[in-house]
Amino acid sequence: MFDLSRRRLLGGTAATVAMMAIGTRTAAAPLRGADGPDTEWRHYAADQANTRYSPLDQISADNFADLEVAWSFKTDMLGARKEYQFEPTPLLVKGRLYLTAGSRRDCIAIDAATGELLWMHRLDEGRRALNSPRQLSGHGCSFWTDGTSERVLYVTNGYQLVSLDAATGIPDPAFGTNGIVDLKQNFDQELDLETADVGLHATPLVARDTVVVGAAHSAGDVPAVRKNVKGYVRGFDVRTGRRKWIFHTIPKKGEYGYESWLNGDADEAGNGGVWAEMSADEQLGLVYVPVELPTGDEVGVFRRGNALFGESIVALDFETGVRKWHYQLVHHGLWDRDIPCAPILCDIPVKGRMVKALAQPTKQAFLYVLDRETGKPIWPIVERKVEAGDVPGEWYAPTQPFPTKPPAYDVQGVTIDDLIDFTPELRAQAIELVKNYKIGPLYTPPVVSKPGRWGTITNPGIQGGTNWPGGCYDPETHMVYVYSKSQPGVIGIVPNTNEKVSEFPQVHGIAGVAPRPQTAMGSESAAAFRPPLMPGAAPTPGPGGPPAQPRPGGQAAAGPPPGFLAVQGLPLLKPPYGRITAIDLTKGDLTWQVAHGETPDNVRNHPALKGLKIPRTGRAGNLGPLVTKTLVICGEAGFYTNEYGIRGAMLRAYDKATGEEKGAVYMPAPQSGSPMTYRLKGKQYIVVAIGGGNYSAELVAYRLPGGGS
Amino acid sequence: MNGLKHRKAAWMAMAGTLALGGAVVARAQAADKTVWTGVYTADQATRGAAAYAESCASCHGESLAGIDVAPPLTGSGFLNNWNNTSAGDLFTRIKTTMPLNAPDSLSGRTVSDIEAYLFQANGFPAGEIALPPSPPMMANVKIVAQKPAG
Repeated sequence: MFDLSRRRLLGGTAATVAMMAIGTRTAAAPLRGADGPDTEWRHYAADQANTRYSPLDQISADNFADLEVAWSFKTDMLGARKEYQFEPTPLLVKGRLYLTAGSRRDCIAIDAATGELLWMHRLDEGRRALNSPRQLSGHGCSFWTDGTSERVLYVTNGYQLVSLDAATGIPDPAFGTNGIVDLKQNFDQELDLETADVGLHATPLVARDTVVVGAAHSAGDVPAVRKNVKGYVRGFDVRTGRRKWIFHTIPKKGEYGYESWLNGDADEAGNGGVWAEMSADEQLGLVYVPVELPTGDEVGVFRRGNALFGESIVALDFETGVRKWHYQLVHHGLWDRDIPCAPILCDIPVKGRMVKALAQPTKQAFLYVLDRETGKPIWPIVERKVEAGDVPGEWYAPTQPFPTKPPAYDVQGVTIDDLIDFTPELRAQAIELVKNYKIGPLYTPPVVSKPGRWGTITNPGIQGGTNWPGGCYDPETHMVYVYSKSQPGVIGIVPNTNEKVSEFPQVHGIAGVAPRPQTAMGSESAAAFRPPLMPGAAPTPGPGGPPAQPRPGGQAAAGPPPGFLAVQGLPLLKPPYGRITAIDLTKGDLTWQVAHGETPDNVRNHPALKGLKIPRTGRAGNLGPLVTKTLVICGEAGFYTNEYGIRGAMLRAYDKATGEEKGAVYMPAPQSGSPMTYRLKGKQYIVVAIGGGNYSAELVAYRLPGGGS
Repeated sequence: MNGLKHRKAAWMAMAGTLALGGAVVARAQAADKTVWTGVYTADQATRGAAAYAESCASCHGESLAGIDVAPPLTGSGFLNNWNNTSAGDLFTRIKTTMPLNAPDSLSGRTVSDIEAYLFQANGFPAGEIALPPSPPMMANVKIVAQKPAG
């Protein structure tokens, strides 16, 4: 870059000679692709297909471990306080990175070569933002250009769509009102602008001249109200902010899908938002929308029937919002299997011809592969009978769809064989523990919680499997790479009679623990529901609170409370706890699988495992991998303490053909946002958002040492 | 009150340490002070459970298991995220960023109560001295996921 170019011009100086004498490989030979043009990254996951793929190959298996920090950018000064949950992937356009950052979710532009802040836009939304169900930095922003104007669009914490001039960060006066569209208005429902339970982490999706925006709500384990905000999806004119269309993810009477609800439940149900990223195919004119459940993540008593478009992929004409097709992945879901990430659009060979397909990673660890023109499965997806539960008033779907190919990419359901087996003692304790729960295959129903059968162990747990970062895809080899975690959870259902806590008669919980209201991120409205608490008064949750509960399986008093799955502090199931899987879409098979992440500290140092040689277990979290010409690149989830006694996490690279690890670089904190890559002035960069624990948010750029400019 | 007595004891211990000078302070800090040595009181954890239910449970869950947008506060993931940090680090994180709708609104005493509850829920033993309401006073309390041998 500039500095090194100058150094070259000064060739023959002592400094240069000294550098040559050290003789690094990279200084001696120009880097691969060093004369190639700059590349861009104009969408959240590289492109509207959500491939998170780049053909760059300067950073390779041979040199990955040589990566150095080119620059880093702390976000501490953005917002009124530090952030520790920094999830964006930046965009790269003409040498500038655009992203959202900081606890207030400011939108910023950064010099991609140096990390220098170029501009920032902030909107102080007061209580409206503090009440939002989706706070902090979010997943990033979107870019639009007609070749002349250039705009950066993002959704604020308080659910407003902002359009900025990409050059200056100044709001576009032609868009909405002074550059802002209030997303709580013109939403086909009346909402209180300050307190309504709606927000969005995801980036708005730009398809041609339309910007498509979804909706997210508070978690629905203990829904405060029956008639929550409906999470409709809308398309806006990117130039003016005018609403072009709205799609009712919960159909109104007379609309397609309404009849899939029993007793007219659709009239009153809320949620059904699209909180995940979306994909678009500009040739087909379609946007692919992953829909979550209607209100009640584990209780469906007010959304009886299959209740479209819950947990469905819906293909919409992005000019008009008209539904082209839909596919429901889970009927009347009771396991919080919200479709968490964008479907990956992929053109794959099927029986000798190329098919425009999509591949949808999920919390349940199935990759659903559909024809994206028609919504028809590429490989048969069959309806299989599933068990019904015992929750009063619940409606149970008799069957669920099971893909026949590709196979599940993580463990589904729980059997005795899946339990921890490092030692016979641990296995025996695990068997004792699960006697206090219902276990079974995928889609084993939640049950009424009671002592001795606290609930159903659901695996993957309600956070997946795969969550919001989604997977990546290599269009040359037709391989999908996806991270998933094996982290079971417990779904017990408990009765609720306190309407101030929830309007639901049954809620997700554990017997003996009084349900607590669950509102927008602990928003102010929750305070109204709470019983007053005097300083020093007895705790208000059920008798004694979780730690004083009877222990399942006769564990020691210091053991986990009911509903928490651990054996001597170790995870209940066998490792890997986190893995990356390569899935070959030419065959519908799994090609390789690797435990991703160094073994957690508490497993490596556990006294019960002393002397045992345990292969790397991986770590659980939410991670999005990046695929390049030769590598799959992904940072680790959570911290571990390395051989030098230093806390941190590794950014790892695998041979994408085999899964063999080729190199790793230290990061001071775990990957919190999915990595992206670009070539700028001959150098390839990898940029990744990190943070968590006691390490506040930081954007870090890696590149190879020396040469290449 | 019992808690008050413990707090008093903590203050007395600290005052004593200060009076005896720097060398003693250094030795006190080196003396295996981890979350396994009883760094909070049972009373404090009980108060913390109530404060947790009030200010934290709606996002982090009754069983501290977390949700899509709020991490778990117990178990392997939590312990590993905080392993080899200090009780002061965790205190600061809670105090300055939580709850999301009103960061820095909880008193230091409430935050240390909540932290005591998290320690209890993660299986760390209670002791005689309460977790102090200020991070510099617990910078020497190391969070160690596994109980040190011996």
